[in-house]
Amino acid sequence: MTAEKTTAIARFFDGDLAPLVRRMADRPRAEGGDDGDGREVRAMVWEGLTGLDALGSSDTVGLAELLGSVLYQGPLLDTLTARELVPGDDLGRAPVALAVAEEPWTERDGAISARRAFVGFAAEVDHFLVGGVGDAGLRLALVGAGHPSITMRRYEETSRGEAYEVEFAGTPVAAWAGSAAEWAAALAGARVRQAAYLVGLAQAALDHAVEHARTRRQFGRPVGGFQGPAFRLAELSMHIDATRLLVHDPGAAGHAAACLAAASDLARTVTTQTMQVNGAAGMRSDNDAQLYYRWAAFESVRLGTPDRLRRESWEAR
Amino acid sequence: MTPVFTPEQDGFREEVCELLCEDEVRAEIARCRRMPYGEESGLLDVHRRLGKLGWLAINWPERYGGAGATIVEKAILTEEMIRHGVPDNVHSLGIDIVGNAIHLFGTQEQKERFLPGLARGEITANVLFSEPDVGSDLASLSTRAEPDGDHWRLRGRKIYNMKAQHSEFALCAARTSRGPVNYAGITLFLVPLRSMGVVVEPVWNLSEERFDLVTLDGIRVGREDVLGEVDDGWQVLGKVLPLERTGLDHSAKAERTLAALREHALPGCGQRLVQLETRVRAARLLAWRCVANLRDGRPDEVHSATAKWYASETAKEVAVAAVELLGPRALLDARDPAAIAEGVFDAGFREAPGLTLAQGSSEIMLFFVATSALGLPS
Ligand SMILES: Cc1cc2nc3c(=O)[nH]c(=O)nc-3n(C[C@H](O)[C@H](O)[C@H](O)COP(=O)(O)OP(=O)(O)OC[C@H]3O[C@@H](n4cnc5c(N)ncnc54)[C@H](O)[C@@H]3O)c2cc1C
Repeated sequence: MTAEKTTAIARFFDGDLAPLVRRMADRPRAEGGDDGDGREVRAMVWEGLTGLDALGSSDTVGLAELLGSVLYQGPLLDTLTARELVPGDDLGRAPVALAVAEEPWTERDGAISARRAFVGFAAEVDHFLVGGVGDAGLRLALVGAGHPSITMRRYEETSRGEAYEVEFAGTPVAAWAGSAAEWAAALAGARVRQAAYLVGLAQAALDHAVEHARTRRQFGRPVGGFQGPAFRLAELSMHIDATRLLVHDPGAAGHAAACLAAASDLARTVTTQTMQVNGAAGMRSDNDAQLYYRWAAFESVRLGTPDRLRRESWEAR
Repeated sequence: MTPVFTPEQDGFREEVCELLCEDEVRAEIARCRRMPYGEESGLLDVHRRLGKLGWLAINWPERYGGAGATIVEKAILTEEMIRHGVPDNVHSLGIDIVGNAIHLFGTQEQKERFLPGLARGEITANVLFSEPDVGSDLASLSTRAEPDGDHWRLRGRKIYNMKAQHSEFALCAARTSRGPVNYAGITLFLVPLRSMGVVVEPVWNLSEERFDLVTLDGIRVGREDVLGEVDDGWQVLGKVLPLERTGLDHSAKAERTLAALREHALPGCGQRLVQLETRVRAARLLAWRCVANLRDGRPDEVHSATAKWYASETAKEVAVAAVELLGPRALLDARDPAAIAEGVFDAGFREAPGLTLAQGSSEIMLFFVATSALGLPS
């Protein structure tokens, strides 16, 4: 059932949609900044994914890897995490953005005030799951996205995606969600999924590099015929294989922070090497190599830097 | 080998730093960082200021706009310009590659025609070597110079070059004849870019500075535009390219990113910072060893390849490490109001992949050291 669902989703991403999906949250810069098309594609993909019951998937790690491999950018992973904390009935099929930080916030009369950095797809979700630390420790609140107390600003950053700074100024809480312990469990799941996403992204980047190494000829032969690039690509392939087993291991959630740190390093290394193998061509805006490189940078640190994740993992022993 | 500078050289460095720290200069550099997307700087007032003082090409003779100093003073200038964030491509292409090539191999007439303008920061030049199918294997280039009476007409496409839109002329490699080996039959031309027969189009990329696609559609060039000998361009290339490969630009870039990283890194990153700092120090020593070789008239290609490989890989490592250590805030563009360190990490990250490709890729440096220094079979 689960495998079938993932296969159906894989099929959905196949063919004509794939190149559109890869660029669905990449706002062009010099070439003109209008993101109308991107938004449309994202809405269509959301419909497609929810129509295939991605929100009900029981193999969310496999799903996350698939999403990474097509460079999906949208609120699905955040929504999956939110649904572990908020009863699904409250959310329907609506997209949710996580805006949780272990930072102080103000809660007064059933309303919250906080500023949250790097919230994904804030302009396109129906709800935010906001987290903050008050007198009672970490709490989570579900808020409706349309409330006028919410303001947001899109960042100008390397991935050129949909990351926002969001300000909640006395935003009414629709529902309180989850305890600190439940958040910790949900966060572990989110980290494993993020690690799987990065493994998928790394594999796709490697495939791109391998294809280029096969076809680009210099000195009378494909550059992949030289042992320098060939061995490097083989090595990366083996690292991806190893990390994939780590994230799919049933015990992965027990080492979620360490797993994510490993996948984070993997994604940056593979995409950096993909750039090298592609030569100057890989830097072109119309070449996907630079897309993988920029997205890996953002996605590999979105849920914490590897340094911090490892420290946390060590201190939790 | 720690670079040992004379008191005069230390004094020169201080003077350069003073100039680069002036409010006007800093404001101009800051403006460059926040130019609208799709725009980029060419020659700046700071170049013209340095040019007026004879510092921009300080190692060229005074009659060509320099100050007759050594390559050490030139390297000090380059190092400080990069440390202070002056966009460096215009300078390195115009002065360090094209200007230097003319200085070393040009005729008297060519030197008089081009060097003073370059040295004063009034004109600049770019490099037209790479083609769509020709990157690392430059000798296989296919741009043709077709005889036209006692002139030639250039036909072909050059890509992945930079600053063509700001340049008055270019150093262009084209094929004048075809023989049994690819290396023979290549000629270097000094080609006016703002002419009929040359079309410059942007090729957008992830960095702050675009690539250009330059189509040479029959532009006419004469004997007076040939740098070196006809059919013998490979010799000139072999001598000029290693000269710019000191790695100094890369080590200075790494230093600049690292300085900002030190300022913004969270506690707990100390060990990684020490590791990076040590690499950057080593990169700088390798680079200055190359400068000293040039000063002493003993260029060493193995030293050059080592410095280029080590310093560019280090600069790339520091750029990627900044993201790893600082997280998403390192990715903020200089144009974002919340940007840290004036966006140096984001710009550095987007520039990083090019560092180990341009001016001889890492693999080509490794191949050279494996075969030439270690004597392994090729
Ligand atoms: C930022 C930047 C600025 C540039 N500026 C200019 C410019 O001003 N003018 C200009 O003419 N060009 C310029 N170039 C182009 C540059 O010269 C080329 O990128 C370089 O020659 C490499 O060619 P390529 O990128 O096509 O890679 P390719 O030659 O296609 O190589 C692809 C990959 O294979 C590797 N490879 C190739 N051959 C071998 C081998 N034998 N063994 C092992 N590995 C190998 C390469 O190292 C690379 O990693 C610039 C490039 C960049 C990135």
